[in-house]
Amino acid sequence: MAEAHVIGQIIGATGFSESSLFCKWGIHTGAAWKLLSGVREGQTQVDTPQVGDMAYWCHPIDLHFATKGLQGWPRLHLQVWSQDSFGRCQLAGYGFCHVPSSPGTHQLDCPTWRPLGSWREQLARAFVGGGPQLLHADTIYSGADRYRLHTAAGGTVRLELGLLLRHFDRYGVEC
Amino acid sequence: MAAANPSVFLLMVNGQVESAQFPEYDDLYCKYCFVYGQDWAPTAGLEEGISQITSKSQDMRRALVWNFPIDVTFKSTNPYGWPQIVLSVYGPDVFGNDVVRGYGAVHVPFSPGRHKRTIPMFVPESTSTLQKFTSWFMGRRPEYTDPKVVAQGEGREVTRVRSQGFVTLLFNVVTKDMRKLGYDTGPADTQGIAGPSLPQGIPR
Repeated sequence: MAEAHVIGQIIGATGFSESSLFCKWGIHTGAAWKLLSGVREGQTQVDTPQVGDMAYWCHPIDLHFATKGLQGWPRLHLQVWSQDSFGRCQLAGYGFCHVPSSPGTHQLDCPTWRPLGSWREQLARAFVGGGPQLLHADTIYSGADRYRLHTAAGGTVRLELGLLLRHFDRYGVEC
Repeated sequence: MAAANPSVFLLMVNGQVESAQFPEYDDLYCKYCFVYGQDWAPTAGLEEGISQITSKSQDMRRALVWNFPIDVTFKSTNPYGWPQIVLSVYGPDVFGNDVVRGYGAVHVPFSPGRHKRTIPMFVPESTSTLQKFTSWFMGRRPEYTDPKVVAQGEGREVTRVRSQGFVTLLFNVVTKDMRKLGYDTGPADTQGIAGPSLPQGIPR
């Protein structure tokens, strides 16, 4: 089987109006992909930046996949949350990005969005916080059930992912 | 001399801990160490180091220059657990005690060539107001007992940090036998290499 290593970091996030941010992440693959070692999901630290407006997480990712097919190329899904001084968490954005398909190091900027809800919910969010969240997290990375959603833009998550492929050329796959 | 069917590959890393930007602090020194997976072993060079104490330059850059060398070679059979360099920066507080000013980590680049990396540095924060007060009162800031936790992904959801500076690292990477073992590391990347390597400002 061909092997793929995904090695890198979730560097941080910019462009969010909230200040103390953290990120829950996970990686979704098709059935042909098998995770040999590494953790598939995690949660970063909460960063309150002192210089600039970018929150830095520097969260390491190191994954080793074996694959029988190209269908279901790994995609990374992200949920950015903000934490207030009382430790309450509020959703700041959802986003996903595909793991790049060419080997080498890549800088990725993942745009995020959050559900908007009705005007009543928007008003409530502005005053007391909270706001609507997705019931099924798979909507973050699948395009199947998005058409009824109304969303607003969030900030951007910056990632640096390196892809290392093994034996893809043995099966004639050109990446 | 060269084996026809190698089972290990080598990774040679050299370079330097070039400089740092910490707007609020001065007189800092830096420690580095490498964190790597089970299949990895260092074969030559030093995997830990501790630099001199440097003061800010008096010009526009306000740079803290260490120019501290890194030179280490690893061997491995599996890229999983690829080495990360862990940096921790220390400096004196108002009472002259050494306190930590930042932790940071980055993977060693895996394509051969010259690479420059600017890594953000952060310190852990107390979560309770009482601890915040006692640490301010006693002059003892929270620290990690082992800086190597910043290279691990697990168990970070409980930590709160403040990022407050940057360190610029320069790497020269050479690999041996990775292609022979079937690995494709992609084209050599030389990101962030523009002209001579001068200490940079805060990245935007």
